[in-house]
Amino acid sequence: MSKDNVLEISDFNVDFWVDGVWYPAVIDMNLGLAAGKVTAIVGESGSGKSTTALGLMSLLASNARMDGSVKVKGEEMLNAKTSVLRSFRGREVAYIFQEPMTALNPLYTIGFQIVETLRSHFDMGPKEAHTRALELITMVDIPNPEQSIFKYPHQLSGGQRQRAMIAQALACDPALLVADEPTTALDVTVQAEILDLMRGLKDKLNSAILLITHDMGVVADMADDILVMKDGITVEHGTADQIFNNPKHPYTQQLLGAVPKLGSTKKRALPYSESAKPAPVLKLTDVTIEYPKRGRQPAFTAVKNFNLEIYPGEIVGLVGESGSGKTTVGRASIGLLPVKGGSIEIVGKEIAGADSKQLSSIRRHTGIVFQDPASSLNPRLPIGESIGEPLYLAGLAKGADLARKVEELLDQVELPRSYRNRYPHELSGGQRQRVGIARALALTPDLLIADEPTSALDVSVQARFLELLQELQGKLNFACLFISHDLAVVDILSHRIAVMQNGLLVEEGDRDQILKNPKNDYTKRLISAVPVPDPKEQKIRREARLATKK
Amino acid sequence: MNLFKRKEKATGEILAGGESAIANKEVEGLSQGQIVRRRFFRHRAAVGALVVLTSLIIFVMTALETKIGPIRIPGWWKWTTEDIPALRFEDCPGGTTGCPTLSLNPAGGFGLGTHPFGQDDIGRDYFALTMNGARRSLMIMFVIGAVAGFIGVVVGSIAGFYGKMVDAVLMRLVDFIQTVPTIIIAAVIGKAAGKVGPLYLALFLGILGWTGLARLVRAQFLSLREMEFVDAARVAGASNIRIAFKHILPNAVGQIIVSITLIMAGAILTETALSYLGFGVVAPDVSLGLLISQYESSFTTRPWLFWWPGLFIISIALCVNFIGDGLRDAFDPRQRRRITKKDRLQAKLQSKVGA
Amino acid sequence: MILFGSSFMVYNLAAYASDPLAELRLSNDDSAQQQIAALTRQLNLDTPPPIRYFLWLRGLLGLFVGNLNLGTTRDGLSVQSELAYAIPVTIRLVLVATITAVLLGLALGIISALRQYSRFDYGMTFLAFLLYSLPIFWVAVLLKEFMAIQFNNFLSEPNIPLRWMIIFSIFTGVFWGSLLGGERRRFWTVFGGAFATNFVILWAIDFTDWYLNPGLGPILIALLSVGIAFGVTAISSGITDIKARNAALVMAGLAVVWYYPAQWIFDNYGSYLTVFVLLAVLIATGVFVSRAFSKIDRGPIARTAIITGFICGFLILIDRIMQSWKEYSATDAVNYRPVPTFGQRKDQLVTEDFWLNNLDIIMHLILPTLALILISLAGWIRYSRGALLEVLNQDYIRTARAKGLNERVVITRHAFRNMMLPLSSLFVGEFVGLVGGAVITERVFGWQGMGTLGIKAINSYDLNLLMGVNLLLSFLVVTGNLLADLLYSALDPRIRLRK
Repeated sequence: MSKDNVLEISDFNVDFWVDGVWYPAVIDMNLGLAAGKVTAIVGESGSGKSTTALGLMSLLASNARMDGSVKVKGEEMLNAKTSVLRSFRGREVAYIFQEPMTALNPLYTIGFQIVETLRSHFDMGPKEAHTRALELITMVDIPNPEQSIFKYPHQLSGGQRQRAMIAQALACDPALLVADEPTTALDVTVQAEILDLMRGLKDKLNSAILLITHDMGVVADMADDILVMKDGITVEHGTADQIFNNPKHPYTQQLLGAVPKLGSTKKRALPYSESAKPAPVLKLTDVTIEYPKRGRQPAFTAVKNFNLEIYPGEIVGLVGESGSGKTTVGRASIGLLPVKGGSIEIVGKEIAGADSKQLSSIRRHTGIVFQDPASSLNPRLPIGESIGEPLYLAGLAKGADLARKVEELLDQVELPRSYRNRYPHELSGGQRQRVGIARALALTPDLLIADEPTSALDVSVQARFLELLQELQGKLNFACLFISHDLAVVDILSHRIAVMQNGLLVEEGDRDQILKNPKNDYTKRLISAVPVPDPKEQKIRREARLATKK
Repeated sequence: MNLFKRKEKATGEILAGGESAIANKEVEGLSQGQIVRRRFFRHRAAVGALVVLTSLIIFVMTALETKIGPIRIPGWWKWTTEDIPALRFEDCPGGTTGCPTLSLNPAGGFGLGTHPFGQDDIGRDYFALTMNGARRSLMIMFVIGAVAGFIGVVVGSIAGFYGKMVDAVLMRLVDFIQTVPTIIIAAVIGKAAGKVGPLYLALFLGILGWTGLARLVRAQFLSLREMEFVDAARVAGASNIRIAFKHILPNAVGQIIVSITLIMAGAILTETALSYLGFGVVAPDVSLGLLISQYESSFTTRPWLFWWPGLFIISIALCVNFIGDGLRDAFDPRQRRRITKKDRLQAKLQSKVGA
Repeated sequence: MILFGSSFMVYNLAAYASDPLAELRLSNDDSAQQQIAALTRQLNLDTPPPIRYFLWLRGLLGLFVGNLNLGTTRDGLSVQSELAYAIPVTIRLVLVATITAVLLGLALGIISALRQYSRFDYGMTFLAFLLYSLPIFWVAVLLKEFMAIQFNNFLSEPNIPLRWMIIFSIFTGVFWGSLLGGERRRFWTVFGGAFATNFVILWAIDFTDWYLNPGLGPILIALLSVGIAFGVTAISSGITDIKARNAALVMAGLAVVWYYPAQWIFDNYGSYLTVFVLLAVLIATGVFVSRAFSKIDRGPIARTAIITGFICGFLILIDRIMQSWKEYSATDAVNYRPVPTFGQRKDQLVTEDFWLNNLDIIMHLILPTLALILISLAGWIRYSRGALLEVLNQDYIRTARAKGLNERVVITRHAFRNMMLPLSSLFVGEFVGLVGGAVITERVFGWQGMGTLGIKAINSYDLNLLMGVNLLLSFLVVTGNLLADLLYSALDPRIRLRK
């Protein structure tokens, strides 16, 4: 901890007041950050990492209380006078937040918001500020800077918005950049670009970066030093090399163990022979799905000429970025969306054009697990009822019989039987997703569709969930369409992979073949953009990727 | 739609810092309904209002005689609206007649006297009149609430659930009714229906007043319809009816109840306003609004004729409003009290929370 | 489209519900039969209502060929002219009330939201609830009694009793204390200050019998102007913005300097045109002054300067109007009971004096406007409080703070504009709603506006008049909704500019 650190945190404590009790959120944190270096704070939700980031410059809610010392360039920030705090905010310490759509004021142009930062800290006239803003926007590689400076946030794409945020943050040449999950809301290819940008700018401007994230791949890509937090306590602190290659604390080891690493799983055989394929469980032939015209918005073709077959007992991973159409395919496959052209067959029966009775009987062969544990269960029903609903509606069980079956299902997903009468709000996200599986498997389906089931879960919870899914699949031998944007997760689970982009099926094949030897350009780009949780390897990958870009 | 939801939200941490994980501890083992009830009872003003309102209702309803068909339940008040006892003029200021005998002055004797609210022009007991008027108004308020509530929920849910054509048509209907200036049409109806009886007036007013609620219900349905558990139910084989009643409606109930209380508060004000103008409840029936309009000119000399009905209207409306606000907070809680310096000093430090 | 439908429905409803011949049928007069026949002929009562509707419609469509004919009322007057007379009356009443209610409600709501859960906030919320639950006719009558009759009585023997002074000062003290203060000490300081100031003012008023000859006078105007200059600068540009502050002070100074010349202008050229011209001059001066103070960045300075100038100018105007008070009270029509309870103006008051006229109009406006304001205020306090609270929870407010912007800018620039977005369309809706709902106020105070016309129409079963009123009101509602939508799309760049 040298004196000329840009950021010096000692014995930092944050507590929150709730109904007469102080709950600790950050406990005894110590950190030193020098110029030009990147320190990453990693942890799962509830670990206190975001609280630390916001607490630095006293940006927390009024029921927070902070203790200890936070020094930026030698100046104490905690309990400092408002004028001091304000002069440092934005000028020496700048923030980049997770969701640029909500973090930028929708009523002002991005140019205005950058100019505002400049003029509140420097004595600049409007013209001068405008020129500088233009410089910044060009520096962050936003296309058409002269026009973009007059655009509103909603007129830019997600990646461009984040760039605008970065431009705003860098406006005053800050000594410290605090980035709170800056790329979590972005697509993987865009994420890679933003990380490149941040690295480049850091080198150019010699600013220090405090990076808050849960993604170990991003950490491996960017960080020099790492701090691991759990429940407010700093569990381990060391260089990237130390942490990744020689983790000491059991939690760190567990965390690293739970992170899915691309290309690390053994070869997997298909559960059928290539030459004698059984009848497909799910068959999509030349499927086109369109979202109808809505007022002024024209009709939007989400999926075009899509072909895919899934055979019994295999897991097919469907990957793509946002807007690729993968969720649309998933929903259409279970009949939740109407199909404009082509046919979808489940165990040989055609869905498109089926009437409701036929549809119900077809659906008995399927189950679906949704993405958002918060909204996939009816908050007013005890989970036992949610799980039992498919059985009840199919007429397969009632009363005590139903209760027994529900208990069996709970056993299967390794939840205690007594949870039957609990409500969704009493369960954690991971537990709710297990309930989701239980419900999906209630009718012992032939086909399970999993729509991004782990995207909203913490890494360690995700690892347990994937283990469970694999076990169940092994035992019950259902076919699974696993939709995800996370290639590493898909890598662990699937036998085959299909890649989508802009509604089209871009490449499809055996898992190892796709991951190690992709043929399509987009697939190649996608795979190279995924950060792996190993600094050395990530460096090699990164350089390879940048080489191909040029 | 952003597929990359914040991890924080899924496991319960709001950016304000781990609060809701802590908050969830308090509601273990309780169903939604119980949680709401608990929260409501913490809201002192609302509970107070509830108590006041219930006692007021009981008070008013039982004061006079009630006739249900052939059954007559006697009230506890000695005068009825038909009695015309002699006009008192003793101790009345300024030579007026029929002043109230309510006396809270400990010196002169704490008591009700024969006519605590005074008497009207011809000598009828004002307390009886006020009670009668209050009863009318309360009844109308509840009827309007029920009618408007029912229509609003039905229309809103159909529009929100089925969408497209049905929605467009129903929204046109809502626009249509909203376009007609309420007072005018209510007055027209009131004039015609007032003669038939206050019940019909209430029905008509209810038929006019459901538009706001319908919009709300529709908005709720539209958003709830997109929820994943609805899709899950559909995949499980639920019919549309089941989805609407078992899945969507119970989740919208909170907003609906709050809306209905607000409609009721507005209803009593509208009804009394109409009666005041002469279009609502008309003589020989009694309404609080009517009483006020009849005696507004005598305010200077005999203020009691004016105060008492007004106070009743205000109390009822105020109580209903408070209850509505309490309900709203119970269904959708915001932050808790502001933290004062004293709170900060007094609060104890919780040892590490294993969230 | 909707207009047709609703008017059709109203017509039929009214027609079936009413029976203009009812009275006549009951009469035992000999001439009754003839009267019935005459009335039938006049009102076309022997044709069924739907057909009568189309007759009426034909008259309405005459609008497009420049020959609007909405029929005649029972009394034989043209419906059009009746409406034309009544509309401005109602609009005048509602406009002032709405604008004041909005401004006041916004201010109180914003302060409540900023000091959430403070005593002030609870107080305001309770107040809003109370006002919301008040029946307007009851309030109106109370106002009539206390503000008018009692006040007039009071004026005839003006003497503020000491205890009222104390009570009133306590109230003011509490209000300002909870508004500005937070911690104990500050609360009591502000309380003390407000109490003292208020008490002194009241005592001075009593001592000098100010209400007999009210006016602000140049000294008071000078003091107030300086205070206003500081206040406006604090909110609009921040107290540290020296240029803006100086510009505002210059404007205030100019206002004081203009006081005497203004009196001369007013006395000799009193008219709406004069006021308008003076307003234009004021704005021009504001721009000029800001130009003088800064070459770059004139916008905020000009804004501060103009607002200050506007308020100071307004003070001078009010002062002049107040000066007519004595003269006003002395006229026969008023007869020393200046607060009126009936009508829009005193018809007996015949005068050429612009100022007397306006004072008369204003006096008549006061009470009904006050009644309407009390009722609307509740809604606006709650809307603005809720809207601001919601906005303050948004991420971009946190970003603004993280950028190092001071709290004033965060609120006025970021929070305020976002909050106004939904409220602005609400404004139109409220205004339109109030036009229809001012019925009761009109009745209590005897104004001949739309509401009274409507009631007359219903009571006398005058279908033509009723249709006219209804048509106009519905038209307003539809236009209002349209306007509200347009306003929202114009203000929200997310709708205005699609990708």
